[in-house]
Amino acid sequence: MRYVLRKIGLLLLTLWAAVTLNFFLPRMMPGSPTDAAIAKLAQNGPVSPATRAAIEAQLGVPTGNIWDQYVTYLGNVLTLDFGVSYTFFPQSVSDLVLTALPWTLVMVGVVTIVAFVLGTLLGVLAAWKRGTFLDSLPTLTGTFTSAFPYFWTALLLLFFLGYVLQWFPTSGAYSARATPNLSAAFIADAAYHAVLPAVTILITSLGGWILGMRNTMINTLGDDYVTFAEANGLKPRAVALKYAARNAILPNLTGFGLALGGVVGGSLLVERVFNYPGVGYLLYNAVTNQDFPLMQALFLMITVSVLVANFIVDVLYGYLDPRTRR
Amino acid sequence: MTEKEATAQGEAPEPTQPPPSGRKNAYNTTVDGGGGLVRVGAPPSPLTVLGRAAGTIWSVPKARVGLILLAVFVLAAVFAPLLAPYAPTDNSFARAEGGSPAHPLGTTTAGEDVLSQLIYGSRVSVLVGMVAGFGATLIAVLLGMSWGYTRGFAADVINFFVNLFLVIPGLPLMIVLAAYLQGGGLAMIIFVVVITGWAWGARVLRSQTQSLRSRDFITAAQFSGESSFRIVFREILPNMTSLITGSFFGAATAAILAESGLSFLGLGDTAMVSWGSMLFWAQNSNAILTGQWVLLFAPGLCIALLATSLTLINFGVDGLSNPRLREGKGR
Amino acid sequence: MTLLDVQDLSIVYEPHGAEPVTAVRGATFRLEQGEFVGLVGESGSGKSTLGFALTGLARAPARISSGRIAFDGTDIAHLDGEDLRRQRRGGFAMVLQSGMNALNPVRTIGNHFADIFAAHEHVPRGRRRDRAVELVEKVKLPASVLDRYPGELSGGMRQRVAIALAMSLDPRLLVFDEPTTALDVLVQRAVMETIIELQREENFTAILVSHDLGVVLESTARVLVMHEGVIVEDGPAARILQDPQDDYTKMLLSHYADPRAEVVELPGLRVAGSQISTTGEGPAGPGTDAAPSGGAKARTGRTREAVVLEGVGKVYPPPRRGEDPVVAVDDVSFTIEPGDALALVGASGSGKSTIAKLITGVERPTAGTVRLGETDVGSLRRAGLRRLRRDVQMVFQDPYSALNPLHSVEYTLMRPVVNFGGLRGLEARRRVLDLLDIVGLTPVEQFAAKLPHQLSGGQRQRVVIARALACDPQVIIADEPVSMLDVSLRAGVLALIEGLREQWGVSLLFITHDLLSARLVTDKILVLNRGRVVERGETAQVLRFPEDAYTVELLDAVPQPGRAAD
Repeated sequence: MRYVLRKIGLLLLTLWAAVTLNFFLPRMMPGSPTDAAIAKLAQNGPVSPATRAAIEAQLGVPTGNIWDQYVTYLGNVLTLDFGVSYTFFPQSVSDLVLTALPWTLVMVGVVTIVAFVLGTLLGVLAAWKRGTFLDSLPTLTGTFTSAFPYFWTALLLLFFLGYVLQWFPTSGAYSARATPNLSAAFIADAAYHAVLPAVTILITSLGGWILGMRNTMINTLGDDYVTFAEANGLKPRAVALKYAARNAILPNLTGFGLALGGVVGGSLLVERVFNYPGVGYLLYNAVTNQDFPLMQALFLMITVSVLVANFIVDVLYGYLDPRTRR
Repeated sequence: MTEKEATAQGEAPEPTQPPPSGRKNAYNTTVDGGGGLVRVGAPPSPLTVLGRAAGTIWSVPKARVGLILLAVFVLAAVFAPLLAPYAPTDNSFARAEGGSPAHPLGTTTAGEDVLSQLIYGSRVSVLVGMVAGFGATLIAVLLGMSWGYTRGFAADVINFFVNLFLVIPGLPLMIVLAAYLQGGGLAMIIFVVVITGWAWGARVLRSQTQSLRSRDFITAAQFSGESSFRIVFREILPNMTSLITGSFFGAATAAILAESGLSFLGLGDTAMVSWGSMLFWAQNSNAILTGQWVLLFAPGLCIALLATSLTLINFGVDGLSNPRLREGKGR
Repeated sequence: MTLLDVQDLSIVYEPHGAEPVTAVRGATFRLEQGEFVGLVGESGSGKSTLGFALTGLARAPARISSGRIAFDGTDIAHLDGEDLRRQRRGGFAMVLQSGMNALNPVRTIGNHFADIFAAHEHVPRGRRRDRAVELVEKVKLPASVLDRYPGELSGGMRQRVAIALAMSLDPRLLVFDEPTTALDVLVQRAVMETIIELQREENFTAILVSHDLGVVLESTARVLVMHEGVIVEDGPAARILQDPQDDYTKMLLSHYADPRAEVVELPGLRVAGSQISTTGEGPAGPGTDAAPSGGAKARTGRTREAVVLEGVGKVYPPPRRGEDPVVAVDDVSFTIEPGDALALVGASGSGKSTIAKLITGVERPTAGTVRLGETDVGSLRRAGLRRLRRDVQMVFQDPYSALNPLHSVEYTLMRPVVNFGGLRGLEARRRVLDLLDIVGLTPVEQFAAKLPHQLSGGQRQRVVIARALACDPQVIIADEPVSMLDVSLRAGVLALIEGLREQWGVSLLFITHDLLSARLVTDKILVLNRGRVVERGETAQVLRFPEDAYTVELLDAVPQPGRAAD
C-alpha cells in the first residue's frame, strides 16, 4: 500500500512538472507566440478581452508578472479552460481535445496492449527456443519492422490494402454518413475503419517488445533459480513460464512504460496518414495552422495520458513483484 | 554473474580469471605483443579500447551485416555528387514518370529524378543520425556519469528530471518545439532531436556508473590520491565503452526516425531533399492516387534499412557488455 | 550396492569464440548406496563441472565428450529431455552454491514445493502441504516459511529451503555444490551440521563439492581430490589425512593448522607461542607466488604515530521508517602502536569493517574519537583525507574487483607514486619496479606490463599490497586479504604481509573472520561481537585459552582436518 501511495505522490509531482513545462515552453521560444495567436484570431473578428486574457495566460505576455500568469494558468488547466481554437473557430480548445481524445485512447490503447502481450509471448518463445527457427524468424523480422517509420508502414498499408486492393476504408474513423453512437452497427463500422491504423501500429511496435522480452528472458534463463528448477525436474513449460518468463516480465514492464511515449508519438503520424480524427490528426492541423493554444493543450493531454498510463504500469509492477510490498 | 561470484565458484577451467566479456585475444595481442617495450604508465588509450570493441562487434554475424549496410549508406552520402545521375532539385524532367533507362526509379510529380533524390537524401539522414546521436550521447555521458557518481539530494533532483524526460512522449514534444522554431532548418531539427533524445542513455550510463563506483578499484583509486575528475574519466569511463557505443547507436537510430517523422509532417525544411521530405511531397502530391508506389516505397525502405543497420550493430555491442546475449544455442 | 558408476568421464568446455578446454579428464569412480563423499579441488579443478554432470545438468558450453555415468544401471550421461526429467524423482538432486539465488524471487516457498510435487505427482494432492511442512522442519525451519517469499529470508534460511526442496524429490544421490561458501562463518557451520545429520538419518548418497579440504575431511568419510581436471586421490578421509599419497594432496594438507596449537606452522610461516617468523621456505606453487625476495629498502626516517580509538561508536539511521537505528560499533577503544599488528576478528555484522571505514575516514564516528598521532580523523575534510591516505592504506578483500581491469600493473602502481611520492618519469618507474620486487612479482619488467586478468588471484593480491605500500604508509588496513584466495595461495600472501611488517615497520590492522590467519600474522587481537569488544589480548594467549563463548564459537568454525580423526 505504501508503494502505491508513493507512486501516487510521484504521479502528482510528475504531472505538476509536465504542466509547468507546458507553461514555460511558449515563453522560452523566440518571438511572441501570443501576438501571433491573437493576430490569427483577429482574422475571425474582434478579439474579446476575456479571450485575450486566456491566450495570454497560456502563451505568455512579455511584460506581465510571471508568477501571476502561472497562477492563472494553473487555474485554467484545472478547469480545462484552454481558450478558443482559431483553426476551428469558434470551438473551444477543450471541446476539440475531448472529442478527439477517445478515438486515440481506444484505438492506440487497445492495439498497444495487444502488441505488448503478443510481442512478449513471441519473445518468450524466441528465448526459450534460442538458436532455432522460432528464435531467428521473429528476432530478425522484429529488428527490421521496428526500424520502419510509423508513417511509412501506414502509407504502404494505405496504398496496397486501401487503394489497390480496396479491402479497407482509406480515411476517417467511421463512414461519412454515420453519426457517433453506441449501437452495434456503429461500433462495427468504427472497428472496420480502425483496422489499418491499428495494424500499422501493431506491425511497427511488435518488434521492440519481442526483442526486449527475448533479451531479458535470456538473462533470467541463466539465473540460478532456473537451473535449480530444472535440477528439481520441473516440466520445461513450468520452468519457462513460472520461473524464467515470470521474472523477465518485470524489467520488461518498466521498459513498456518508458517506450509508451514512443508508440504514442508514432501513432500520431499514423493518424495523420489515415486522417483518423484523434489527437494526432488534430495536433497535425494545429501545427500546420500555427494554432498554438490548441497545440499546447494537445501536448499537455498527450503527456498526461502517458503519465497516467505509466502510473498504471507501475501499480501493476507492484502487484507482480512481492519485493515492492514490504 | 559478477567477477566476484565467478571467483568464489571458482570453476573457470583456466588457472587465471577469464577476462570480462571475451576481450582476451585483443588484450593479449596489445600487451604481450609489446614485449618489454611498454610506455611508462600507459593504460590502453580510449582509441585502442574502441578498436578492440570494433573487432569484437565485427565477429558477430548480424553486426557485420549492419556494419556493411551502414558503410553503403555512408559512402552514398559522401559520394552523392558522383553517384547521382542528376542534381536532386533539377525539376526539368517530365513529371510523374515511371521507371525508364534515363530515370530508373521514375520522376516525382514536380519532375525531379527519384534516384538522385534518394542518393542525396542519405546525406540528411546520415548527418542527423551521426550529429544528433553524438550530441545526445554526449549529454547522456556527462549527465549519467556525474549523476551516478554523486549522491544525496542533487542525485535525486537529476533522477526526477531524467525520469520526466523519459516518460514525456518525445515526438509530440519535438513537434511542438519544431512548430515554434519553424524555419530553423536542419540545425533546428538536430537541436530538437538532441534535447529529447538523451534521457535513455543517461539512465543506462547512470546505473553502470553506480555499479562501477561501488567496486573496490574505485575506492583504491581514492586511496591512491586520485581526483574525482580523474576517477570518473580514467577509471570509470573506459569501462563503459560498450554501453556508450550502444547508446550512441540507439540515439542515432531514434534521431534518424525522428527526423524523418518531422520532415514528413513538413516541419523541417521542405525544400531540402531528405527521405522524410520526399515522403512529405509524395503524400501531398497524392502519389497514392497516381499509383507511384516507388515514390512511397523507396525512401521509407532506405530509412528502415539505415535504422536496421544501426540496430544490427547494437547486437554486437550488446554481446560486449552482456556475455549471456552472445550468439549461440541456449538449450 | 553400487548406486553411481562413473567410467572414464571427460567434459570439455567449448566457449563461443575461444579454444575448447578439457575441464574433467577421465574421471572414474563408484559410489555405494549411503556413502558420504567429499569432492575437493581448488578453483579451476573441474569439481563443480563434474558435480553438475553427475546430476544431468551439463549445459553448453560444457559438453560430456566421452565416458558414462551409470546411475543405478542407467547411463544418464546421454539421457535427454523427458527421460532425464523422470529420473530426477527418487534419483539425483543438487543443492547449488548460491542458495540465496536458487529460489524464484516472485514465488512463495510453499509454491516452490507445490511446483515440484506437481511436476512429479509423487505426493497425493491432499498430503502436499503436510509433506512440505515435514520437509522444512527437517532442515530446522518453522512451517511459517512456506508463506514467505525468498527475499524475506536470510541467506542461511534460503540455503536450508534449497536443501529441503532437493530432499522433496526423495533423492538417492544428493550433490551439494559448495553449499555453505556464500554464507557467514557461523551460519556455515550450522548448515553443514544439518547436512551431515540429514545424510545420517535419511541415508541418501551424498557428494560434498568443496574448495576446502578441511571442511570435507571433517564431514565426509571418503574424499576425492581433483587437480586440473583429474582425480588425483580417492580414499577414506582418515587415510588421506594420515597418509596422503599424491603430492598435491600433501601440499593442500600442509596449509591447514589449528590456531589453538602451541606451534602453528604453514609453508613459509611459523608461530611458536607469540613469536612469529617467516621461515624463508617458499610455499609450494607457482614460482611467482613465493615469499618476497627481500629487496626492501630501509624506511625513510619519518616519525611514526599510533592509531588510537577512544570510546568509538557508530550508529546508522534506521534502514526503513519505524525501525530501530543500527548500532554498528559500540564503545570500542584500542591503540595500535607503531609497528604493531592487531587482529580484529568477528563474524559478518560484528562491526569490524565499519571500524576500518572509521580509521580511513570513509565514515565518521557518532561517538568517541579516532586519532592518528595528533590528527583527529573524524573531523578531516577533503584535503585532510587526502593527506591521511598517504599514511593509512587499504588492502582489499577481493583482488578481482580491487584492480581496474583496463589498467596495466604499472599504471595502477604509478598513480600513488606520482600523487603521493611526487616522483616523475624514470624515477617513478624505478620506484614501481622496486615495489614489484618487494612483493615478489619477478621478473618485474614483465609483471609491470600485465593486465589484471593475466594474473592469478595471489598475484593480483600482491599488486594490491604493492599499491598500498607505494606511498610508504604508516598503517596498512588489510580487510580479509586472503579469504577469496585458494587455500594454497594464502600462506604466501600472509608471509608477504608479515615480512613487510618486519622489514618496514608498518603498523597492521588485520581484519578477518579466520582465526588461523589472525594467529599467523598478528601479535594482539580484539574479538568483536555485534559492535562490542568481547575479548582482547595477546593473539597467542586469546586463541589458546579463549574465555568468551563467542571466541570459542569462532575457533570451532576454523576447519581442521584433524578434528574428525579425534
